[in-house]
Amino acid sequence: MLIPLQAYAQTDIKADSPVQGEKVFNAETFKLDNGLEIIVIPNHRTPVVTHMVWYKVGGADETQGKSGIAHFMEHLMFKGSTGLASGEFSKTVRKLGGNDNAFTGQDYTAYFQSIAVEHLEKIMTMEAGRMRGMNPPLQEVESERKVILEERRQRTDNDPRGRFGEQMNAALYVNHPYGTPVIGWFHEMEKLTWDDAKTFYDKWYGPNNAILIVSGDVTGAEVHELAKKIYGPLKRVETIPERNRTISPPLHAQTKVLQRHPAIAQAIIQRNYRVPSYRQNKKDSLALQVIEEIMGGGATSRLYKSLVIEQKLATSASMSYRADSWDDTTLTVYAAPAPGKHPEEVERALEQELRKLVSAGITEDELQDAKTRMQDAAIYARDSLSGPAMAFGHALATGSTVDDVEYWPQRIEEITAEQAQNVAQRFLDPDGKYDHPPVTGYLLPPAPKEVPQENIQKIEPAANDNAADVPPANSEESTP
Amino acid sequence: MRTALFFILIVIFILPAPLHARDKVLDIQEVTSPGGIKAWLVEDHSIPIIALKFSFKGAGAALDPADKQGLSRLVSNTMDEGAGDLDSQAFQKELRDLSIGLSFGSGRDNFGGNLKTLTRNKERAFELMHLALTEPRFDPEPVGRMIASNQSRIRSSLSDPDWMAVRLLNDMAFENHPYALNSGGTLSTLQSITVIDLENFGKFRLGKNNLKISVAGDITPEELATTLDNIFGDLPDVSLTSPPDLETQNQGQIALYERDIPQTVIEMIQPGIARTDPDFHTAQIMNYVLGGSGFGSRLMEEVREKRGLAYGIYSGFYLSDHFKGFSVSTSTANTSVKQVLDIIKAEWTKMLNNPVSQEEIDNAKSYLIGSLPLSLTSTDSIASLLLSIQADDLPIDYLEQRNKNIGAASAEDIARVTKRILAPEKFVTVLVGKPEGIAATKTYETLPNVE
Repeated sequence: MLIPLQAYAQTDIKADSPVQGEKVFNAETFKLDNGLEIIVIPNHRTPVVTHMVWYKVGGADETQGKSGIAHFMEHLMFKGSTGLASGEFSKTVRKLGGNDNAFTGQDYTAYFQSIAVEHLEKIMTMEAGRMRGMNPPLQEVESERKVILEERRQRTDNDPRGRFGEQMNAALYVNHPYGTPVIGWFHEMEKLTWDDAKTFYDKWYGPNNAILIVSGDVTGAEVHELAKKIYGPLKRVETIPERNRTISPPLHAQTKVLQRHPAIAQAIIQRNYRVPSYRQNKKDSLALQVIEEIMGGGATSRLYKSLVIEQKLATSASMSYRADSWDDTTLTVYAAPAPGKHPEEVERALEQELRKLVSAGITEDELQDAKTRMQDAAIYARDSLSGPAMAFGHALATGSTVDDVEYWPQRIEEITAEQAQNVAQRFLDPDGKYDHPPVTGYLLPPAPKEVPQENIQKIEPAANDNAADVPPANSEESTP
Repeated sequence: MRTALFFILIVIFILPAPLHARDKVLDIQEVTSPGGIKAWLVEDHSIPIIALKFSFKGAGAALDPADKQGLSRLVSNTMDEGAGDLDSQAFQKELRDLSIGLSFGSGRDNFGGNLKTLTRNKERAFELMHLALTEPRFDPEPVGRMIASNQSRIRSSLSDPDWMAVRLLNDMAFENHPYALNSGGTLSTLQSITVIDLENFGKFRLGKNNLKISVAGDITPEELATTLDNIFGDLPDVSLTSPPDLETQNQGQIALYERDIPQTVIEMIQPGIARTDPDFHTAQIMNYVLGGSGFGSRLMEEVREKRGLAYGIYSGFYLSDHFKGFSVSTSTANTSVKQVLDIIKAEWTKMLNNPVSQEEIDNAKSYLIGSLPLSLTSTDSIASLLLSIQADDLPIDYLEQRNKNIGAASAEDIARVTKRILAPEKFVTVLVGKPEGIAATKTYETLPNVE
């Protein structure tokens, strides 16, 4: 079934723009004839490696009505493939003194092992075996479906905060697959079959839709040779589908999400904005990263200083933005109201800080300090085995390049105060009108008379586990 | 500013290398400062980063009075909120601007600190740590803010069934012992902590004589020796009382905290074994086979792989200075709680009555020895490992001894240690959820030591 192909080294994956200066990780890149991209990050401190395979497919690539199939497939990848019985993959890794796991996001599914460098070939052989050769026994599929339902209960349904995050997402991504949780909706997960998984697998899993990343005590040439031998013979998938996701229509009403729950003793107020990812707009994304650092980066950030230290309205306040996303991504502004403070008062204070950002921008000092911290973070990032592999995986699976990762500090350096203000004006203005207006959410204790008087999309606490459902605020499911 | 440093005579003692250098897991040097302060160091100049971690033995939350629960935690939250001439914002701003990670943390037994810096900012990082340790300000604003932040954390946890289960397990298994208290504080005890309490904590608990230090990264032993005196040299000697040792309380009891959630969280604990016990490494093999390994363990096979009853199930040793336990954690749909508890019991019995297969033993040894280098891949993780070895007063060649002991354990050793440890009738069990078909022996209406 496997046709051996003559694989040979290609030049580096093309850099999209000329950049100079020191690289963060000094990764080496290769590509096999069957389309497999290879990234090697040499790190000779300890004789170990992290080996990862990222598939450029995730929850957002599922067929409608089959939510959770990307994640279910990830689980089934441990359930028996060419030459390996069910469960044997992880057991073999453990036996060799290694750790393994996998995770699924909206845009990617990744499998990884950390192990002594002398076992790299064995690990590669097993990983290559399940790239196109999955064949789990049907009773294993049945029991594993129960496992993912337990996973959903554990991660999402057992804590109202999980369901709240899921609902916030659903409201922000109307008619876009990011509104569906990666783990899946319970009622759809219950019905997933091996046929569903196999269809998904055959469509998306293959060397031409995968990235191999090896970090650790190896050279690029060694990994390239091994990969040619082991992954080289794998047949490519004839046509990898385009990632054309459904598009959200312009929305005209403000969306507010209110959840009251008896288990909630600490209220949360959150506003989620739809903003560009790095793939969609590099300059905007870099500017948003700078804004995130200034507004939400720890004890000296603007939001914390204003809401927590000076106004005493909240016990925590922050902003977070994730650049690695294929389509739009989410920027979150968040606060936990202090006792006795009305959530609306806290929301107004958050808005006030955003208005200040929009109208007055950031200072040169703030900008320089933020840049230094962010560039220092890139140095700290090198102090890890799996961290750099993760950084490349997230970036490449969501449409960024190797150079985007390597020259991130230089690209941050280019951002100006004007750009930062401009981005804030275009995306974060509380008084702005947007095609995809932000979603504001309140997660509150039961206190009926305190309901905000607006158009409220009301979510009552679910009466039982199967009724309402949720994704974690962060759309990644770790497993198996 | 730092000229005084250059006139200090530097004296370093580096221990002779162990006999079989090639078998060494890590090249650990013991450094002693001119002032007599000792630290373990793993030098690595490949990345311009230094990680320094330390622990004040026996200074942790177990010494907090019941009406001041959370005192250690609050000290750890406020020592980095202003020191010397720097108020909270000035101190934090300097840390941020120089990308210095400086923090404190408190466990039940020990109170500790972490410092992580880029080499280029090391001098200031060491000064700021010295300042935080010796001249913390405890200004009313940050103290009040940190009390509020801890209260908020507690209220947030009240929707987290895993947190609730651990809270209850502490209350059950450690009943009438300081370990049963809430080391994170309660809503009311946090409010009662004063600035005087915080100041006394430093005076009476943080001494040169109960200090363990570990360092990894871009620093030489010579420089570290001077640095140790600069950071820690001003600390007093202290004398601490010690809580009594403790056996597992409420053995055989099942406690229930009923919550309207789809899944029940299960926490169980029975008596365990000390890390310093000669049988500890043999016990690690037993634990690995039973439930410590995750995938491949007997519990995971029976509960998850064969029956799909849980996302995960793990066993492990609970190691503290005054209590040694062996625990199991999982969560399962309310309808299958009884089935999962029965499986756990059955696996205990099976392990007690049947020898572990040679294949299982070989696999466990291979993992336990082979995976050790995986925890040595960052300056942080190396420093943490060094500190945990020192905190238990284990020798500097502990890692080599550990590997040797694991390798030498026989099937008979494992059977003997299994009989010594496993005792299903001694389990105290805590359930949080709405389990079906379970007769709890104790029911909680509210969580103890939260309000």
